Amino acid sequence: MSTEPASPVLRIEGLVKRYGAHVVIDGVDLDVVPGQVVVIVGPSGTGKSTLLRCVNGLEDIQGGRITFEDQPVLARSRTVHAIRRRIGMIFQSFNLYPHLTALENVMLAPVKVLGESAKEVEERARGLFRKVRLEHRAHAFPSQLSGGEQQRVAIARALAMNPHLLMFDEPTSALDPETVGDVLTVMEELALEGRTMLVVTHEIGFARHVGDRMIFMDGGKIVEDSPPEEMIANPRNLRTQQFLGSILHH
Amino acid sequence: MYEFNLAGLLPYIDPLPRAILLTLWLSLLAIVMSVAVGVFGALCRTSTNLIPRFLGAAYVEVLRNIPLLVVIYLIFFGLAQVGLRVDGFNSALIALTLNAGAYMTEIFRGGLLAIPNGQYEAARSQGMTGPQLYRYVVFPQVFRIIYAPLGNLIIGIVIGSSLASVIGVEEVTTWMRRAGDETFRYMESFLAVGVIYVVLAQTINIGRIATGNWLLSKAPVGARR
Repeated sequence: MSTEPASPVLRIEGLVKRYGAHVVIDGVDLDVVPGQVVVIVGPSGTGKSTLLRCVNGLEDIQGGRITFEDQPVLARSRTVHAIRRRIGMIFQSFNLYPHLTALENVMLAPVKVLGESAKEVEERARGLFRKVRLEHRAHAFPSQLSGGEQQRVAIARALAMNPHLLMFDEPTSALDPETVGDVLTVMEELALEGRTMLVVTHEIGFARHVGDRMIFMDGGKIVEDSPPEEMIANPRNLRTQQFLGSILHH
Repeated sequence: MYEFNLAGLLPYIDPLPRAILLTLWLSLLAIVMSVAVGVFGALCRTSTNLIPRFLGAAYVEVLRNIPLLVVIYLIFFGLAQVGLRVDGFNSALIALTLNAGAYMTEIFRGGLLAIPNGQYEAARSQGMTGPQLYRYVVFPQVFRIIYAPLGNLIIGIVIGSSLASVIGVEEVTTWMRRAGDETFRYMESFLAVGVIYVVLAQTINIGRIATGNWLLSKAPVGARR
């Protein structure tokens, strides 16, 4: 096949993120094309979450450039709000709005930020609740939901904005083992729909089955970038071998 | 021999409704204005910028440590001496607002600090601007947290408004002093006014609870059943 490579939806060039003298991200280059599922793994404290937070401008950057759909991402700029509306973010700790029901959580931003009609948004939200298999929980408050349910509501909340990129920041790390599967199933279905996803996770099984690309980060750098099967079977770098060894064999 | 006789105050009943309304009006205005001061002060005190943070802290510490009576004197007599005349009602209102505003600032600041950072990040990630974030995500949650301590403070404002009597504002306490002085029925007038304050403070407090319940039941996007 000789199809033209799709132009990237997200382009990261030479990204540097420092807190004072402490370098968290040390020159990262990464292109994500539409429909791609990129899974980022690596030991904690190596800048994986920070990378996601830089992409939607939650963190300012000290060097390099991030371009989302041909627009530069600049934290604290006027343009950053419009970019964030097209990027869905799912957090490790869900961060649902506790004063709102599940349905209101999903509807709030489309109605108040995008200015869509409440009726249309509610219809769409109902569909999203079916998609994440929580239609019976739409009127529950977050405190009445299990962790896995909260995370699926958070996914529905992100989807309600019709984002062009979904970012998951360790979405299953705060969950009970038995609810992890529900969340991963939903994520897998999203990948099958052809969504563009950037996923930070320790779920190597998910990376293997769902990921198009696997990235191993260590010390603020991308150490290895290859198809998941290949990286898991044949890690080239010593650090990758050690890391995958430690999380696969126990 | 002393004999308790409430009816002895009857000749003074005519100006009482007006005095009650004045106390109510003064208190309500001070509550609304001090809430505004408190929200602004709390945003200053939690700012990432050092200057508003310092000014907010200075305001709170100064006003919290000066008796309300002294603030009233400062505005009514002190300012008059340097050529700025403020009438009694407005002096009392400004003093009450400045005093209660310092406490409001601390209450709202506590509420703001109780909101986890993840809430701001979730709202920002959805593309909310600063005002949207506070309007739909932060303040509704802060309100739930400060709701109870707010009750103490607004009762304190109603009660504090009695100090307006020292600069001649014709409110309930002034009425009490006059009725007592002229009839010598001190016990009757003090007790009557005590009951009036209980009723006024509780009326305003019930208003707070009702407003709160109404606000809490309201869905921002019209989807609550």
